[in-house]
Amino acid sequence: MLRDSGFAGVLTGEAADTFGGAPGEANARAFDVYGYVFLAQRPLP
Amino acid sequence: MASDLLVNPDSLRDQVRAKYRSVALSPGADYHFHTGRGLASRLGYDDRTVDALPDRAVESFAGVGNPFSLRPLEPGEHVVDVGSGAGFDSFIAAGQVGPGGRVIGVDMTSEMLAKARQTAAELGLEHVEFREGLAEALPVEDGWADVVISNGVINLCADKEAVFAEIHRVLRPGGLLQFADIANGRPVPIEALRDIDLWTG
Repeated sequence: MLRDSGFAGVLTGEAADTFGGAPGEANARAFDVYGYVFLAQRPLP
Repeated sequence: MASDLLVNPDSLRDQVRAKYRSVALSPGADYHFHTGRGLASRLGYDDRTVDALPDRAVESFAGVGNPFSLRPLEPGEHVVDVGSGAGFDSFIAAGQVGPGGRVIGVDMTSEMLAKARQTAAELGLEHVEFREGLAEALPVEDGWADVVISNGVINLCADKEAVFAEIHRVLRPGGLLQFADIANGRPVPIEALRDIDLWTG
């Protein structure tokens, strides 16, 4: 979706266990939900 | 509403606003996610930087990653924080860009904006500003931003294409989007995706 929106050079960081130990952990585990960091650039013309 | 959206954007927005109004006013209540200083530490934020912030700036933090982990901001940069909440990431950004930079936090929840503005005033940060607005209609001029940051917000927007288009608009050519958000490794059933109650809780 980022590329479709005109961004380039997309990088993705390591997964973070955002919900570990929180009340929402069970739902997060059921669908392998983790937090990620993304870096993308609006290209130069 | 675009016909291909899974939920009504206005209905979802109402639920998100209600949830984060509660996080602003009752940050210590039970939520399905972590909040505050413990979450910031869990996500790898620099302890000394977070320790220097007042509780009001940190207690309602409910991000899902550290948007500065792949690239710290540079002095002098202009930054937009989409869904800035009580301002936690905006204040981290303000420290990294320094007084020669500028940070505009945008949020749709008045209680979050009030906390953020109070903290900015307390800290005397004149290069940080908080504006009321939507991720799909950012109150920022075309090409103003060197960097757009966001943390756990875009997943709560029904029309993600509209959000990314808006971020693209406010970034200068060559500007960077660095954001944290959740992603699922297993498919979520379509009926769950259409259940608006599951988006926020």
